[in-house]
Amino acid sequence: MYKKVKVVPCSGIGKVFGLMAREAVLKTVIELCPDKSETVCLAYIVTGDKAVKEKIEGYDCITVDGCPKMCAAKNVTLIGGVVVEEVNVLDTVKEHKGKKFGSPTQLSDDGEVVINEIAGKIARKINEIN
Amino acid sequence: MSVLKVGVLSCSGEECLGGTISRLATRKVLEELKFIDTVTLCLPLYLAGGEEERNFAKVYPTISVDGCDKLCAKRSTEKYSGKISGSIDVSKVIGNENALNTKIVRNKDLKDEHLQMIDQVAGEIVKMIGSISPDSLNINPK
Repeated sequence: MYKKVKVVPCSGIGKVFGLMAREAVLKTVIELCPDKSETVCLAYIVTGDKAVKEKIEGYDCITVDGCPKMCAAKNVTLIGGVVVEEVNVLDTVKEHKGKKFGSPTQLSDDGEVVINEIAGKIARKINEIN
Repeated sequence: MSVLKVGVLSCSGEECLGGTISRLATRKVLEELKFIDTVTLCLPLYLAGGEEERNFAKVYPTISVDGCDKLCAKRSTEKYSGKISGSIDVSKVIGNENALNTKIVRNKDLKDEHLQMIDQVAGEIVKMIGSISPDSLNINPK
């Protein structure tokens, strides 16, 4: 039986890159790999509650961050998750110079293109694991 | 000229619609509210950031906006930063069934009814900002 990979985005609220992290993860767990992956609320992880610790501790996790502060990666590690891949949205964004990705509220068409690309990368990693 | 500032902190939970509504309602208030300045912070920065982030609720009277009754934003703010000035549980505003919907979470899947929920929650945030005692408002020179 598969242990679902936990895919956790930062969902940063101040910049479009946080929304891109969030949307890429939701596309992955809802559309691309629903049987092999799931997300866990990062805010819940931050609480450190026993119930969320049990969901994460010792499990393979992929974190997706929208800025160099790497909040998702740090918080998942702190609670005991095994981070097998740290994705930073900015690494993919760099390959799309000159494009406008939208706002922290709404992605543009170019933003959708990039999150589809990131979601594809995350899905490939999940399929390697499971 | 002095500026009144209030912190609005969303859980932005990824597992259900309530988190999406909390995030978008918070953004709406930040972008559209004119009579008072609002600021926000990414919640996970309490642990991933530094002292400046952990002082957020000490510096600004802060309202937490949570998508479900786990109240993660409220509890984390009180645990790591300071006392909050108000708390909104989105599931109480839009109903538990809507808040815990795990099928419609992405922005692109939102329908008119969900946009109305965002407006409703944004209205609750504005109401709560209005109820904060003027004595607790941070007044910074602009």
